Amino acid sequence: MSEAGTESNAGPGDVSRIVEHCFRHEAGRMVSTLTRIFGARHINLAEDVVQEALARALQTWPYYGIPRNPAAWITQVSKNLALDLMRRDKTFRNKEHDISRFMDGGGTASGGDGQVAFKDEISDDRLWMMFMCCHPFVPREAQVALSLKTLCGFSTEEIARAFLTSEAAVTKRLTRAKRKLRDATVSYELPTGEVLKERLDSVLETIYLLFNEGYKASEGESIIRKELCLEAIRLCGILADHNVGDRPRVHALLSLMLLNAARLDARTDADGNILTLREQDRALWDQGMIARGMYHLVRSMEGNEPSVYHLEASIAACHSAARDYESTDWRRILYFYDLLVGMDNSPVAALNRAVAVAEVHGPGAGLEAVRGIAGREQLESYFLLYAVLGEFEERLGNNASAAEHFKKALSLATMKSERKFLMQRIGDTATGD
Amino acid sequence: MVMEPVTEYMMLFRGTGWHKGLSPEEMQQIVTQMHAWLDSLTAQGKARAGQPLHFEGKVISGKSGRMVADGPFAESKEAIAGYFILTVDSMDEAVEIAKNYPGLNYGAEVEVRPLASECAAVLNLRREEEAARAAGSGSR
Repeated sequence: MSEAGTESNAGPGDVSRIVEHCFRHEAGRMVSTLTRIFGARHINLAEDVVQEALARALQTWPYYGIPRNPAAWITQVSKNLALDLMRRDKTFRNKEHDISRFMDGGGTASGGDGQVAFKDEISDDRLWMMFMCCHPFVPREAQVALSLKTLCGFSTEEIARAFLTSEAAVTKRLTRAKRKLRDATVSYELPTGEVLKERLDSVLETIYLLFNEGYKASEGESIIRKELCLEAIRLCGILADHNVGDRPRVHALLSLMLLNAARLDARTDADGNILTLREQDRALWDQGMIARGMYHLVRSMEGNEPSVYHLEASIAACHSAARDYESTDWRRILYFYDLLVGMDNSPVAALNRAVAVAEVHGPGAGLEAVRGIAGREQLESYFLLYAVLGEFEERLGNNASAAEHFKKALSLATMKSERKFLMQRIGDTATGD
Repeated sequence: MVMEPVTEYMMLFRGTGWHKGLSPEEMQQIVTQMHAWLDSLTAQGKARAGQPLHFEGKVISGKSGRMVADGPFAESKEAIAGYFILTVDSMDEAVEIAKNYPGLNYGAEVEVRPLASECAAVLNLRREEEAARAAGSGSR
């Protein structure tokens, strides 16, 4: 391969005109718009049309050069293909005018600023699609997969890789979800007012789930997993920009994800080993993301409906604001954790609080806090419980007990990077570090 | 068979269904690779006049074109999807260029054929005539 020659001779301006993930993102946008026009039951048709439009790009761009506005090209071709289809198929005869209504700027599919939308009416197609994917009729575990497929333009195989599962399993989930959408006899008009608010919570949950899937592991397909985080942020950003989603808790979730994602590149070393907050090179934290995160944190402070997202964002902000580990304001963090466990009674939240307790009042108090976790038995197969206990014991100088806990944690951990980390900790306790 | 020194070759891209099942992300990558590849060949003056072909057309056959059929079939491994003309020094060089066609990794094929300036049979005939003329003038 004459890679070097290719690099220097290709018109770099030309190629760079295709923005990163342009095809994927345009696919998401177009599938949303066309599904809205065709109706949710014809979602597969919408996907086929968009796939064909992308194939046309693949067949012609290399010969004629890349169009000045690739995204507009894809939109136009999708539109033409959709019109052809509608003219051939009676089912869609009366929908032709929708194409111009949705696609030609006016009504719009693009969801840009300045559009005159009825308050509470969802006019951006991707938002409409988000609410559709998170419809209560769609099984929970399928909501994320369906969102990735339709809104983010991921292929089944890519979703499978991201979730470390088989393609067949993802296909099954998607098929079931689409069948639900097809068979449901409920109206697909979106709710307004109070009901909309409830549905919004379920959209936020799905987005956060998507983010956590990407965040919790950086092993193996780390690039894809980072992309899950970025997609969650993108979707939440679309939501927050819109009339319907411009609410404190949406900004809080967006802030929380931005602040945590800012640390993604610093979380592992070159060999993929996990680095703790203490070990991370803070110069690698993405300051642009932190700034955006702080901005949305401020936006989240309007009104008086605090949420779990608010507290988690505030905790993340404390870490972001600390120049180094030593100057972390643990007292403030503990204050937020105290409020958090009052609102979210999950044992995982309580376990995280125990870590803050140990930082403020010492490892002994940390152990005490772990013992006091309500519903602790739910954590018994969770490796982090033992990893945390091991840390506390080690800091107390109880190396033997610490090693026990780390070993127990190791037996429960599944990710390679986590296992490596724990083996190292076991080694540390043996040498008495 | 006598051949003229050839400097032009046609690269025919074969296979019209290989992009099926690719994800949008993969398609974008291939577009970028293909564009970079062809663009670099153009910049080096080695490639000119390429075009994609619509996948469906008509096949005319029979005496006086009695039979007109739809074809080639929309998806086929053999059907020609596009072509490019190369100006290079040798078949070897043309083949080396063809080896870098990004579609190869996804099951597409490239065919490289030298362009003949005249049909080989006509060429042979003319050579024979010239030889005969030379022989004739020599005997006189």
